Amino acid sequence: MRGWLLGEFRSPERLLEAARGLRARGFTRLDAFTPFPVEGMDEALALPPSRLPRLALVAGVGGAAGAYLVQWFTQAVDWPLDVGGRPLHAGPVFIPIAFETAVLSAASAIFLGVLIGCGLPRVTHPFLGLEPFRSASIDGFWVSVAVDDDAGGAAADAALRELGAVKVSRVEEGG
Amino acid sequence: MSEPAPKAPVTADPLVRHSLLEGRYADAALGESLLRPVLGPPGPGWWALVGLCSALTALLVVAIGVTLGKGVGTWGNNIPVAWAFGIINFVWWIGIGHAGTLISAILLLFGEKWRSSVNRMAEAMTLFAVACAGLFPLLHLGRPWKFYWLVPYPSALRMWPQFRSPLTWDIVAILTYLTVSVLFWYMGLLPDLATARDTARQTWKRRAWGLLSLGWRGSARHWLRWRTGYLLLAGLATPLVVSVHTIVSFDFAVAQLPGWHTTVFPPYFVAGAIFSGLAMVLCLLLPARRVLRLHHVVTQAHLDVLARLMLVAGLFVAYGYVQEHFFGWYSGNPYEMHVMGILRTGPYAPLFWTVVTCNVLVPQVFWWGRPRTSPVVLWGAALLVNLGMWLERYMIVVAPLSEDFLPSSWRHYAPTWVDLSLLAGTLGFFGLGFLLFLKLLPPVPVSEVKQLQHELDASEAFAREVAARAGAPGGGR
Repeated sequence: MRGWLLGEFRSPERLLEAARGLRARGFTRLDAFTPFPVEGMDEALALPPSRLPRLALVAGVGGAAGAYLVQWFTQAVDWPLDVGGRPLHAGPVFIPIAFETAVLSAASAIFLGVLIGCGLPRVTHPFLGLEPFRSASIDGFWVSVAVDDDAGGAAADAALRELGAVKVSRVEEGG
Repeated sequence: MSEPAPKAPVTADPLVRHSLLEGRYADAALGESLLRPVLGPPGPGWWALVGLCSALTALLVVAIGVTLGKGVGTWGNNIPVAWAFGIINFVWWIGIGHAGTLISAILLLFGEKWRSSVNRMAEAMTLFAVACAGLFPLLHLGRPWKFYWLVPYPSALRMWPQFRSPLTWDIVAILTYLTVSVLFWYMGLLPDLATARDTARQTWKRRAWGLLSLGWRGSARHWLRWRTGYLLLAGLATPLVVSVHTIVSFDFAVAQLPGWHTTVFPPYFVAGAIFSGLAMVLCLLLPARRVLRLHHVVTQAHLDVLARLMLVAGLFVAYGYVQEHFFGWYSGNPYEMHVMGILRTGPYAPLFWTVVTCNVLVPQVFWWGRPRTSPVVLWGAALLVNLGMWLERYMIVVAPLSEDFLPSSWRHYAPTWVDLSLLAGTLGFFGLGFLLFLKLLPPVPVSEVKQLQHELDASEAFAREVAARAGAPGGGR
C-alpha cells in the first residue's frame, strides 16, 4: 500500500528534532510542512540548494543580450535613421532597455522556476484532503514519510510516535 | 538532540526603543487576528469609501472617454507647455509606487525585521500606483490605440520604434516595473493565501483562496525555493526601483530645455519618489492600522522608523533643490538663471515656497521623538508631503516649458476639467484598488509575522541566558 505517514508536532524545534531522528533511523523519503520557513530544516532533510540563482543569471544575461541585439539590428542595420548625425549604433542609449529587459526576463524565469520547482500549480493533493493537515499552514508542524507497504508504514508510525508526534495520520496515494 | 542554538537578539538596536510586536500570541490566534479583516463581512465605512472611490473611478472613465473621443486637445496643454498634467501625474504616481518596492525589497535584502508587518500593504499600494501611472503615458500618446507601435514587432509597415528616444525607454521600464511588482507581490502572497484557505470557514472562500494559492502546502521543498526566489526577486527589484525613476528623469534630463538639462535629476528624482511613496504608505497605513486593529503588529516602532526614513528622504530632496538652484546660478547661463529665478521670485514663487514648506520644513519635526510616534502628526505630515511632491512635479514640468528661450513664445498653463478629472479619477481608482485588496487578500504577511515572533522569542531567550550567565558570579552591568 503506497502512501504517506504524517506526524504533527507542536513546535518547529520538535519538528527539527523529529526530522533528524527519522533520518538517523534510516528513513529517507521525508518532507516537512510548516506555516513559516524553519531555519535548519534544509540541512535536517539534506535538501540540495536551489538552482534558481543560476537560472536567473542565464535568463537575465540572455534577456539583456536579446534586447541589445534587437535595438542594434533595428536602429543600425534594418532601418538606419540619421537624426542630426547621431551614431546609428548608439551603445549608451541602448543600455536602459537592455537593463530593464534583463530584469524582466530574470524575474519571469525566477517566478516560473519557483512554481515548476515546487510542482505548482496543483490545486488538489492527497494531503489537502486530510482535515487535520489544515493546521500545517496555521500552527501545526508536520513531517511526512513516504511508505510502500504496511510493514514500512508500521515502522514509520512507531518512529513518529517515539519522536513525540501528537498526531499520526495516514494518507493513501490517489486517496 | 539538544535545543537549537538561540539566535542573536534582533531587538538589540539601541536606537529602536519600541517593540516590533506587542505581546506574544499563539500562532493560530496571531494568524486569526491578521486574517480578521478578510474573514468577516465588510463594515459600513468600507462600503461608504468604496462608493466614493467608485464615483471617482466613473469620473476617470468619463475623462478617458473624452480624451479618446475628442483627443488631447481637451487637456490644458498648449505650445510651449506641451507637457503638463499627463507627465506630472505619471511621475507622481510612479514615484509613489517606488516606496512599496523599497520597503519590501531593499529592506528584505538588508534583513530588516520591521518590514514584515507593512510590506504587503506597501506592495499593494505600488501595484495600484503603477497602474495609475501607466495610464498617463498611454493617454498622452494622442492615439493611444496605436501604443503597440512602441513595441518592436515585425509589421507590414516595415517601421521600428525609435530606441534612442526616452519614450520607448519609458514603456519598457513601466511594463517591467509593473510585471516584476506583480510577480514579487504574488510570490509573497502564496503562503498566506494557503493560510487563508485553511482558516476560512465558508466553502466559496476556501475554493477561491485555494485556487489562488495554487496548492501551496508549506513543504520544506516549497519554502526552500520560495525563499531563494523571493530573495532573488528582491535583489532584482532593488536596482529596478532606481533604474525606473532614473529613466523617468531622463525624459527631462536628455532635453536641452533650461531647468531640465541637469545631471542631478536621476538621484533627485529617485529620492523624491521614495519620499512621496513613504508619505503615501503612511497615509494608507495609519487609517488601515486603526480600522483593522493592527496595533499589535504595526507598532510604534514601525511608525518611528517610517518617519525617520521620511526625514532622510526629505533631506535628500532638499539637497536636490539646493543643487538645482546652485547650478542654475553657477552655470552663468542666462536661460538657466531665468528659470530658477521665476521659481524663487517670479510667477511660480507661491508654488515654489509651498513646495519648500511641505517637502523641506514639514519633515523636520521628525527630528523629535514624540511626533514620530504620533499617528495624527504623521498622517498630517504625510498628506502635506504628498501634496508638496505633486506640486514639485508641476513646478518641474510646467515652469521651464512656459518660459523657455524665446520670450515671444512664453505662455502659461491652466488645467481643464478633463485634466482635473483624470487626476481625481486616478485617486479614486487607486483607493478602490486598495480597499478591495484590504477586503480580499491578507493585508499583513501572516507567515512572516509568525516567523518574526518565533525569532523574537528565540532572541529574548538568548538575552535572558546571557543575562543569567553574567549575573551568576556577581557580574552584570
